[in-house]
Amino acid sequence: MKFPTFCYFAVLSAAMAAAPLAHAESDPSGSTSAQTTAEPATPVANAPHAIPAEKNWRFGVGLGYGQRTNPLIQSEDIPVVVDLDIAWFGERWFFDNFDLGFALVDNSRVTTNVVARLNSDRAFFGKTNTRYVNFTVTAGGGEVPMPPPSSPGAGFNPPVELKVPDRDYAVELGLEMLFDGEWGHATLRAFHDVSNTHDGYEISADYSYRWVRGRFTIAPSVGVAYKSAELSDYYWGVHADEVQPTLQGYQVDGGIGWEAGLRTSYYITKSMRVAVSANYERLTDNIALSPLVAEPYVIGYFAGLAWQF
Amino acid sequence: MRVRLTLLIASSFMALPAAGADPAPVRLNVKPLLCLLDKNATSCAVTFDIRWKSALAAEYCLNDEAQPLPLRCWPKALSGEHRQDRLVTQDFFFWMSPATGNERVAEAKIEVLRVGSTDRRRERRSRHVWDVL
Repeated sequence: MKFPTFCYFAVLSAAMAAAPLAHAESDPSGSTSAQTTAEPATPVANAPHAIPAEKNWRFGVGLGYGQRTNPLIQSEDIPVVVDLDIAWFGERWFFDNFDLGFALVDNSRVTTNVVARLNSDRAFFGKTNTRYVNFTVTAGGGEVPMPPPSSPGAGFNPPVELKVPDRDYAVELGLEMLFDGEWGHATLRAFHDVSNTHDGYEISADYSYRWVRGRFTIAPSVGVAYKSAELSDYYWGVHADEVQPTLQGYQVDGGIGWEAGLRTSYYITKSMRVAVSANYERLTDNIALSPLVAEPYVIGYFAGLAWQF
Repeated sequence: MRVRLTLLIASSFMALPAAGADPAPVRLNVKPLLCLLDKNATSCAVTFDIRWKSALAAEYCLNDEAQPLPLRCWPKALSGEHRQDRLVTQDFFFWMSPATGNERVAEAKIEVLRVGSTDRRRERRSRHVWDVL
């Protein structure tokens, strides 16, 4: 199920050549027509007005406490104390928190972007530790790890290093299609490695819906993602040159994982809100069985204050 | 001469409080002060709870920026309450003024925040590990 890179670029090139930007951002005509439909049902109302154009820059910061668990063995969870939101949106180009994108199509039904991003699986490998395991010889002749000796002289062999292998960041290029309506928001994405790091791809779909009541917003979301064998094996497999007495080889096939999340905000002022979010991601079954994986899931949560400037 | 001097002192003394004190210590309290609009919403339908208090009993009027005439005036009073249904599409002020004149002796700004965007790119959710908001 490998998606050849040249096919990938052919698709992108064709899409870029054929698709005019049918619906520019902040379409004033659309906004105005929407405004004029609002008839005052109550004694007083402001005169209809165009929605002001949004700033190109978006800068926000969240301060609080949260973390994302790390599914890797002998690893540390990833603390989230500060969450920066930095984005810039031009007519077609945009930068959104290290995603660089270009709008190919933007109309009343869909926005299609070509996006370059960094693979996020690598982030877990930045929070790993090296552990030393003691071995002893069993009656059958095989070696099994044993806990550190409780008394001097109880160990038989010197400790053996157990180290999670290093992994590199991968630059991925892909297409994303954004849909929305009264029913909520949906996204389809397909990304392929263009940095010769894992040479794999990922296809994902997610859906979210936001309710607004008074000062409160709540947005549940669900998503599924297929990760190819190449991508899964590069990050989560144990390759032949990484096999150790403490780490057996393992090849990961492609598979489907899923996630569900909830994001809530209570706006104190126009620019400050209390933000609480939680997310559960289930790794693919094949990844979950890897010797590198201690937990088959990733749980993320955060609670704090967020400012939008 | 003595009469004139007495009148001058008396008039000066009477003018002092008006010149030196807060001319209208009125407090205006409005709830809610913030209206959230989702992406496709054009207005908030809000019932405002408006309360005011004054240290000096006087005739005050409640005004709305979208209305040329006051919403309501009170006869000489120290406080007042009012509920106002309103569709809100943009930031605006409620304010209190004397019954005669347009001076704003107290005001409250009602703000509108659009939490969604018509630009779908601004609504995209990244899948970064550190993205929690």
